[in-house]
Amino acid sequence: MKNPIIALLGNPNVGKTSLFNRITKLHQRVGNYPGITVEKREGTVNANSKTYSVIDLPGTYSLFPTSLDEAVVYDVLADKRNKYHPDLVVVVSEPNNIKRSIILYQQARELGVPAIFVINMIDEIKEKGLEIDYDRLEQYLNTKVYTTDARNGKGIQQLIQAFEERPSHYVSRFTIEEKYQSALEEAKKLFPLHTEYQTWQFLAQDHVSFLDEKQRAGLKAIKDKHAFTFHELQKTEALQRNEQTSELIKDIIFHKDNLQLSATNKIDRILLHPVWGYVIFFALLFIIFQLVFTLATPIMDWIDELFASLIDTTAAVLPEGPFSDLLTQGVLAGIGGIVIFVPQIAILFLLISMMEETGYMSRVVFLMDRWLRPYGLNGKSVIPLMSGAGCAVPAIMAARNIENTKERLITMLVTPFMTCAARLPIYIVLIALVIPNETFMGFGLQGLVLNALYILGVLAALLSAWVLSKIIKTTHKSFLIFELPAYKGPDWKNVGYNVWDKTSGFLFGAGKIILAMAVILWVLGSFGPNDKFSNAESYVTEANPTLSEDELSEEVASYRLEHSFLGYLGMGIEPFVKPLGYDWKMGIGLISSFAAREVFVGTMATVYSLGEEVDVEDEEEQQTLLSKMRSEINRNTGKPAYNLASGISLLLFYAFAMQCMSTIAIMKRETGSWKWTIMQTVMMTGLAYVVAFIAYQALK
Amino acid sequence: MQEKLSLTVLKIGEKATISAVNSEELPAKFLEIGLLPGHVIEVKHKAPFNGPIGLHIHSSNVLIALRKSEAEHIFVEK
Repeated sequence: MKNPIIALLGNPNVGKTSLFNRITKLHQRVGNYPGITVEKREGTVNANSKTYSVIDLPGTYSLFPTSLDEAVVYDVLADKRNKYHPDLVVVVSEPNNIKRSIILYQQARELGVPAIFVINMIDEIKEKGLEIDYDRLEQYLNTKVYTTDARNGKGIQQLIQAFEERPSHYVSRFTIEEKYQSALEEAKKLFPLHTEYQTWQFLAQDHVSFLDEKQRAGLKAIKDKHAFTFHELQKTEALQRNEQTSELIKDIIFHKDNLQLSATNKIDRILLHPVWGYVIFFALLFIIFQLVFTLATPIMDWIDELFASLIDTTAAVLPEGPFSDLLTQGVLAGIGGIVIFVPQIAILFLLISMMEETGYMSRVVFLMDRWLRPYGLNGKSVIPLMSGAGCAVPAIMAARNIENTKERLITMLVTPFMTCAARLPIYIVLIALVIPNETFMGFGLQGLVLNALYILGVLAALLSAWVLSKIIKTTHKSFLIFELPAYKGPDWKNVGYNVWDKTSGFLFGAGKIILAMAVILWVLGSFGPNDKFSNAESYVTEANPTLSEDELSEEVASYRLEHSFLGYLGMGIEPFVKPLGYDWKMGIGLISSFAAREVFVGTMATVYSLGEEVDVEDEEEQQTLLSKMRSEINRNTGKPAYNLASGISLLLFYAFAMQCMSTIAIMKRETGSWKWTIMQTVMMTGLAYVVAFIAYQALK
Repeated sequence: MQEKLSLTVLKIGEKATISAVNSEELPAKFLEIGLLPGHVIEVKHKAPFNGPIGLHIHSSNVLIALRKSEAEHIFVEK
């Protein structure tokens, strides 16, 4: 038999997710609702000798959606055939917002879904200066009212036991105005099996996804004939219910002084100050990135060494051959490349979820919205964009906090333009190669170019956001209204779940795509189609019989790479990269940097037969690589391969191109669609190509 | 006589009663969150350069923020 489904429904900021975490513990997973980018949190709990499936619905104020997230709530509750249609709804409220929650509860009950009512955060009731008459509330709602405090677990067991309750039939309190009656009668004919309120909801919704074309056309015809819009019906209902509930609530909830809000007010006077508010915010951002780097670097170095020694040990144990190479250079190196991101992701999300838990994140939106809105972004986009300067992978994941689907999508699409840490080694090498070490207006020219590249990243992100905001259509008008919740200490359980959720999502979700691509790239670089690859050594000795042993092995590695599948691919794309001023060797670099941009330097070292271990930070090794690269002649033009024109062109290409499979993998996971992932890759790489082409042709 | 003013003219610290909400321009969410005629509000914060406005809704005791472009459609009486 199917598990009974329990859905948690409630306003934002009522502690619904804390409650969900308390109920399901670690038996939960996060996915997407089929076909859309809305996050679905689902878990299980064993109680009353049954297993319940618990769903944490997106936070909403009513069943009239203003975003894709909220649309899911209506679909799940109103469509009995929906896979997640609940057997029981738990309406979660908090002492301050009982009135709004009552309205949500009424809507759910009148749609015909059984529901119970919970007042969460009950421990704050004194601080918030409230008193509640539970008997009258129960009587009014026609259900039992439960009280919980998700922070300390109070009342959770009683609530889980109540999952068996199915409150009796509910009588609607909502009266449909006389002027809409004739329209309603007509609509009822379209839906003979539905109740009056369900039919009214069909009329009051903008778009009911689960109805068929004919039914939708019928509803539209009725609305057109009677000349009213769904907006009008929604507002009529909202006003009437509010009026009713306001009257009633006077006898149930008694207000005294809200101590919590007055403390919050004092803090806000500083944190939302027109000057100090920004100073504090940017200082905080600075500290966050410092922490992400300084705390993560030693752990990342440790992981790096761990995998290096793991690879060495495995290679020593296994007999030499393709299997050993695949396991060490392909699989283990691939896994190492995934795990290395974990410290950064975990630390970033630890800090971000603390900002969310304390209530500071809403203040960030308040401060930044003005500056990002002109580009079609949202105040919350600032976190992903700034994190993008570290690494696009955790940054894209941070965009989950943006409710508006369109703004979230645009944020994710433009975040990889920000100059990430992996681009830095490439920039260092290329700038040293092609930009003269001179001063310009008292500043080092090389440093200025590096700065310009960072600024270019920001500009590219903002401008493409602006373009995308004009192109991407949305059914939900952009507006911004949100609560600034009272400040409080973080619920560490929530922080813990959040960090675990994001980190494991990256490890297991994006990780498998990264691993697959690492293995493919390894295979391409390690096998060749003919004996020039397998017999590289004899070919090299034949051409240069006088090489020493070290030189020989380096020459062989370079010859092998040239005649591997990857090498032939590099030559294959040469016609495409020729207009940008690159030769096939740079082509190999471009392809292999898909594994991760920093691989470019290593590949260049192999191509120019220096051995793979080049440390750009080591002055001497850097000079060796640089002098090799400097003396390289592009066989197409006969000029140095790295001249000003091709160097600038390559720098610009790296600045714009989507060239990181980890980012592609995380985009696929976060958007849940290949469409946007591919569009982003094509858009970025296309832009990179065009800009690099123009730069090369102009400077040539 | 009481004047009909847009919410945006209120200064920080000023209290007023919402008299009307131009519902043509604003989704029902504004009503649901508590911006309803008859409710007393107080402007608590304003982000610089026409940024969002922070309001305290007295009757429901919550602090909300909205963009200035939307606040223009909410009318108040002092």
